[in-house]
Amino acid sequence: MMVKDRDEVKSDETYEYLISPDEYLAAGVHIGTQVKTGDMRKFIYKVRPDGLYVLDIRQLDERLRIAGKFLSRFEPSKILVVSARQYGQKPAMMFAKITGAEYRVGRFIPGTLTNPMLRDYTEPDVVLVTDPAIDSQAVQEATDVGIPVVALCDSNNSASNVDLIIPTNNKGRKALALVYWLLTREVLRNRGITDFPYSVSDFEAEI
Amino acid sequence: MEVKRCVTCGSNLVGTNYVAFPCPSCGETIYRCKRCRKLANPYTCENCGFTGP
Repeated sequence: MMVKDRDEVKSDETYEYLISPDEYLAAGVHIGTQVKTGDMRKFIYKVRPDGLYVLDIRQLDERLRIAGKFLSRFEPSKILVVSARQYGQKPAMMFAKITGAEYRVGRFIPGTLTNPMLRDYTEPDVVLVTDPAIDSQAVQEATDVGIPVVALCDSNNSASNVDLIIPTNNKGRKALALVYWLLTREVLRNRGITDFPYSVSDFEAEI
Repeated sequence: MEVKRCVTCGSNLVGTNYVAFPCPSCGETIYRCKRCRKLANPYTCENCGFTGP
């Protein structure tokens, strides 16, 4: 690991991460954007000299545990995963297939959660979105029907209409694969399933 | 009948202008009004102290 990377993680010997901090750093889950919102301020560790905000991986790790616990409380078929972002589509599909959830990737057809006349209509109990800014249609419809929203948020995202933030880089191919892989593993662990024969590369989208 | 109140602002919740979900940490039901959700006002679980979003 480069010395520069080592500066980007808070040193805490007592905390036990889900995977080693080096793996988090290698996937780039801590890399934010050059824009910071007030909602995301508490998840930001520092700002780099080049203006990029660095996310706190300790808080990401804690939130992944909590989100895993939260999603495992719902019936598998009542979870809807949404990803309009290209690099989030394969991880979202893998998450849905392994945990038994529903997924909508690519364009989110308006009315999916609100119009019973649509072929794509579904009634989930919770929605997981890859980027609340891009998947804004899903977030808005979830708000209209009154279901909670879990969102992967970067440093530039707003937490408006989001009920649980997972602070991570939601733009990188490897970062999205790692976060969805960890989330899938946590959901299954909380359901009491320890067998998890998948690797992070199974979740990675092709370039 | 039990009165539902937003855990952030304490307003009465009627109709569909709110969301209810189990606390991500302990599972106790959390109610958030539409306004607090839109403004991303932080909520705290009265049972375990978890602060979100």
